[in-house]
Amino acid sequence: MDTQWETYEVFHQTKRGDPHVHVGAVHAPDPHMALQMARDQFARRMKCASIWVVRTKDVARTDYQDETFFAQILDKSYRDPKAFEAPDKGEH
Amino acid sequence: MLLEVPTDIPKEALQRLLVALADDELVLGHRDSEWTGHSPILEEDIAFSNIAQDEIGHALLWFTINEQLGGKSPDWMGFERNWKHFTCCHFTAFPKGDFAYTVVRQYLFDVGEQVRLKNLSTSSFPPLKEAAEKIIMEEGYHLMHSQSLVERLGDATEESHKRMQAAIDTAFPQALGMFEELTGEDELVKAGVFSGNEPLKEQWLEIVVPALTSASLELPVEKKNGKFTIDAKAEEGGRKGWQKEHLKQLVEDLQTVYKMSPGGSW
Repeated sequence: MDTQWETYEVFHQTKRGDPHVHVGAVHAPDPHMALQMARDQFARRMKCASIWVVRTKDVARTDYQDETFFAQILDKSYRDPKAFEAPDKGEH
Repeated sequence: MLLEVPTDIPKEALQRLLVALADDELVLGHRDSEWTGHSPILEEDIAFSNIAQDEIGHALLWFTINEQLGGKSPDWMGFERNWKHFTCCHFTAFPKGDFAYTVVRQYLFDVGEQVRLKNLSTSSFPPLKEAAEKIIMEEGYHLMHSQSLVERLGDATEESHKRMQAAIDTAFPQALGMFEELTGEDELVKAGVFSGNEPLKEQWLEIVVPALTSASLELPVEKKNGKFTIDAKAEEGGRKGWQKEHLKQLVEDLQTVYKMSPGGSW
């Protein structure tokens, strides 16, 4: 029998405004405890502004075996924006 | 650097208070570290190792102030002192037991520390006040962690309830020993260093009694006309240095590496 708690995926944000980045998973009995566990595993040494946790089983995912989902069979290069120079990335 | 002590504060009693604070942290920190590699859940393994390091860090802060008052160095206090000269309460020194006992002890201790640190952060002795203000930041998280576990395990399953209740029955009288009066305490209270252990115990009861009761756990305590009566014998003696054999074992473990190569550094 699996005696471990269920897993939560952990998303870590280094500073406000940055994206939350997936850093791993923790075992926990509920979302509140998952946040505490995530703090101990991922925010103790890394600088951290915010953490999200999501129950692993609530994440909808694609199937690696499914070859058609991402298939690109025909030439679509005409869709790529190659004909002009992109301006410098502005501050935003 | 030696610190000046205001003339109305009795230095000897002040040092006794500092060493008692430090010893509680050092010894409980060591007990917490015994879960490293043995916790029932991987994440709790890391959480308790983390808490252990925090507690030992707090011991270092208290020992450092004691040194600045003319006491021995923190390393000497931790690694060379005879176990019979430790003044931790027995509560912090008992073997780690099962995970229920560990969680209950940590919770009762964390609340005790919370009320103590809040009180010390109004101390008339500035170094004590400043250290308390720093430590209270980290202790808030410890308390959140142990409280979350107590709330959940208290009535999660029949087995968890049984173990948690057994842990309370053992730990509660021991925990009362945290508030054993220190020799010279009256003078410290008079000088505004802290409010004394008796009022701290009352504040502690005001928090732990309702919290544990709402987690379906029973305590040998009754409240009548706003006053608590406790039907349990406090486990005292630690503050006077009347230590028990299990502390001897703990201190031997703690000092093993240091004593293999005294004065060594890495």
